[in-house]
Amino acid sequence: MGTEAGGAIGRLTEALGKLPGIGPKTAERLTHYLLAASRVEVFALADALRAIKENIRRCNQCCNLTEGELCSLCADPRRDASVICVVEQPRDLAALERSASYRGLYHVLHGRLAPLENVGPEQLTTSQLSRRVQGGTVKEVIMATNPTLEGDGTALYLSSLLAPTGVRITRLARGLPSGSVLEFANSQMLADALEGRRAF
Amino acid sequence: MATEKAQALVLRTTDWSETSRIATLWTREFGKVRVLAKGGRRLKSAFENALDLLTLCSIVLIRKSSGGLDLLTEAQVVQRFPRLGTHLPSLYGAYYVAELLDAWTEENDPHPGLFDLAVETLRGLGGAIQEAEPVRSGLRVMRFEMQLLCELGYCPVLEGCAGCGTARNEGAPGPALFSVAAGGLVCPACQPVQRDRQALSPAGLRALEALAQPGEAWRLAGRDDPAVDAEVRRLLGQYVTYLQGRRPRLLSYLESVDENGTGPKRERG
Ligand SMILES: [Zn+2]
Ligand SMILES: [Zn+2]
Repeated sequence: MGTEAGGAIGRLTEALGKLPGIGPKTAERLTHYLLAASRVEVFALADALRAIKENIRRCNQCCNLTEGELCSLCADPRRDASVICVVEQPRDLAALERSASYRGLYHVLHGRLAPLENVGPEQLTTSQLSRRVQGGTVKEVIMATNPTLEGDGTALYLSSLLAPTGVRITRLARGLPSGSVLEFANSQMLADALEGRRAF
Repeated sequence: MATEKAQALVLRTTDWSETSRIATLWTREFGKVRVLAKGGRRLKSAFENALDLLTLCSIVLIRKSSGGLDLLTEAQVVQRFPRLGTHLPSLYGAYYVAELLDAWTEENDPHPGLFDLAVETLRGLGGAIQEAEPVRSGLRVMRFEMQLLCELGYCPVLEGCAGCGTARNEGAPGPALFSVAAGGLVCPACQPVQRDRQALSPAGLRALEALAQPGEAWRLAGRDDPAVDAEVRRLLGQYVTYLQGRRPRLLSYLESVDENGTGPKRERG
């Protein structure tokens, strides 16, 4: 490409190459695309990039990403403030919202308790969650961390942290995705589905 | 590049790309291996949910001749330990087992006996063993820790002086003294040299001996004196820290919970 190291073109290629799923070849192709694109298009991209760091912050209540003091969910009076669903990441919240079957509020941990990776409770939003629950309006906390060992461990830690408040703590059931067939479910899904069975 | 089969415990995984992961596995056959699992983040991949931390799985991998990552082509769950997620001391104990294995084992250096003991320990911590008399999770973890030290050549010297080799004088007044730097008990003559020496209660010494011995005597260690667990935990922690040159991360987690309660004793951080 005839770029000197540290030059604008080289820096862009290097920065793009750090994005997930983008290898050096793709990074180079994107750089060429942007070089050829209009000023308006490229500046719009640059502005959008800048804005996600300058304008996006954590919601004062649930730590979801937002542009205001409160996220749109926390600010919505139709949501049930007595139930909090705890998730690891904003993308998990988005997935649950897409299911359109939950009317309560959320709490985003921004990670999971992973002592082996040096991620302790202090790296997560656990103390904010504690304060919310101690506030008294919350009746139920639903643990919706990932069904992995670390996700389960995070839920376990949080439930022991919140136990003294007397709040009801529940865990997402796990098992068969609706619409799947028993025949193709793996044995773990079936075991979980059996364990999580409910009365009719 | 040969295709190999192995039994493996998952010690660590990192997301590598949108779909792939890198995993550190401890195998019964080859010791520690680092593998690339292409598609390992997809729900329906050849690895299903086998790459979750501390899962016991049977794997197929293509070994690289030198340096690079091995390629994981299959992984199937043999056993998971879901009940670890219901008891904090067991969970932290299991994480500590993973931390020790990752820190203390090498590639191409298999220890099948230690592998089996690690699996046994996880099964015990995960409530997968029916036992007439349940073993405290903390004791189970210390059993593994001591056996790991012995297997790798760092068993603390308990039958005599770690400094000069003099046999232990059972009739000597006062408690035994232990030095982590010397690697065991130190006799009165050697004590001035071993400045890190510390008193070890008779029950603590008996517990250390039981943990180091083959057989099942360890199950009864400290049964009559709950303070012994804390004493031995602290001492082994100091010994491992000294040998490793840094304090294992999980030690403060293990100290933050007590066996019976669901913990944490206090909010950490
Ligand atoms: Zn919010
Ligand atoms: Zn001596």
